[in-house]
Amino acid sequence: MRAEVVVVGGGITGVSAAYFLAREGARSIIVYEKNYIGSGSTFKCAGGIRASFTSQEHIVLMKRSIELWGELARELGVKYLRSGYLWLASRERDLERLKSYSAIHNSFGVPTRVVGPDFLSKVAPYVDSSRLAGALFDPLAGKACPFDATQKLYSVSRRMGVDYRFEEVTGLLAEGGSVRGVRTRTGDVHAEHVVVAAGVWSKPLLEKAGVDLPLAPEPHHAVITEEFGRLFDPLIIDVETGAYAVQTFEGHVLMGVEVPEEHLWEPTPRLDFLEKVVRVWSRWLPWLPRANLIRYWVGHYEVTPDHHPVLGPVSGVEGLYVATGFSGHGFMMGPVVGEELASWVLKGHSRTREARNLTVDRFREGRLIKELAVIG
Amino acid sequence: MAGLKAMLCMCEGVTLEDVDRAIEEGFADVESIKRRLRIGMGTCQGRYCVPILIAYLSRKLGVPPEKLAPPLVRPPLEMAPAYIFTGGDHEG
Repeated sequence: MRAEVVVVGGGITGVSAAYFLAREGARSIIVYEKNYIGSGSTFKCAGGIRASFTSQEHIVLMKRSIELWGELARELGVKYLRSGYLWLASRERDLERLKSYSAIHNSFGVPTRVVGPDFLSKVAPYVDSSRLAGALFDPLAGKACPFDATQKLYSVSRRMGVDYRFEEVTGLLAEGGSVRGVRTRTGDVHAEHVVVAAGVWSKPLLEKAGVDLPLAPEPHHAVITEEFGRLFDPLIIDVETGAYAVQTFEGHVLMGVEVPEEHLWEPTPRLDFLEKVVRVWSRWLPWLPRANLIRYWVGHYEVTPDHHPVLGPVSGVEGLYVATGFSGHGFMMGPVVGEELASWVLKGHSRTREARNLTVDRFREGRLIKELAVIG
Repeated sequence: MAGLKAMLCMCEGVTLEDVDRAIEEGFADVESIKRRLRIGMGTCQGRYCVPILIAYLSRKLGVPPEKLAPPLVRPPLEMAPAYIFTGGDHEG
């Protein structure tokens, strides 16, 4: 068996890469997923999408990704809304910080602006504004449904001829400085190009091929309430704690907040997370204490030292590409990463200079990306 | 008899026809069909619908039901008001 491209991983990155590769004319594409589509980190995420970062790499790539999210919504009917992000500040010093971020966003053409209680009552009628010092609104940001987006890209790319195999890739085949394919328990599959998009599990797989990725599995917790009617449109963030909440397309409220965690491959639920997330959000959502919580789960951020992804070709192993290390932003970057990977594999170069800055070489060469201000 | 449908998941209003369509779209495991159609993601959390889904998929795909793993059970086991997790100090 021989393929032009093998993609390892059936999360948002893998299915998006397969979709763009098929669209750009790759002849034969095989995607390997060891469990089910989206089962790694993708289906545990909140679905927020924004370009309001403070590094040029994140902003340029995310502005393109947002254009592509719009296309995917129009062409494939993916559930996506440009409903904004709203950072809520209750203290003057947090509001001052938001203003300084907004100046950076605006200088890159991301139109964030400071808003007050009147605006809040329009876009977020069930968020209590009595503690509000001010908020930062990003109208370009939005949300998509992780299940719907990933499963639609899977179904559509499958119809375009992508071969999905539900098997674990146990090793990479490499020889004389070139990748030759992948190994599975049912045999070897040869390929000209191999794209490793296996989230945090990319690290052990690449280690076997002698490629060291500075990647750590960081547990993140999330909980979801029962369904409600319209409560708030934008994804909301409590600036003081970095906690977020988003109302899903079905009306559930999905919430997360950071709790101190070790790097763990198999994280477990923690009661102190529920205590903290309910306490933080009850300050902005006074009705929350009496809302029912229906599901709680833990997922991973695959975190790099500079909180930017590892993208593109691996120098020293021709034909091998990686796309991981998204540090909590893999879902939102899925479309642009698929497009960049298709360009790298089929044309031999990235679409943008910003993507090229993100190859794994930057860690060896000490060219880490600087996020000017780290925000939730 | 137009409009007569076999309902499989009452909370989310999912029918057998919806399951057939999901299979045609390429979904053949319980976890994927759960998320495609939201079976078991409503307030019953799969207590009633997931056994029916497994029985139906087993016949449809010719796979013994014990090979079709039920979805992972997420805490809490039953939905619970948020205030109980903050030590029950909610007023009113």
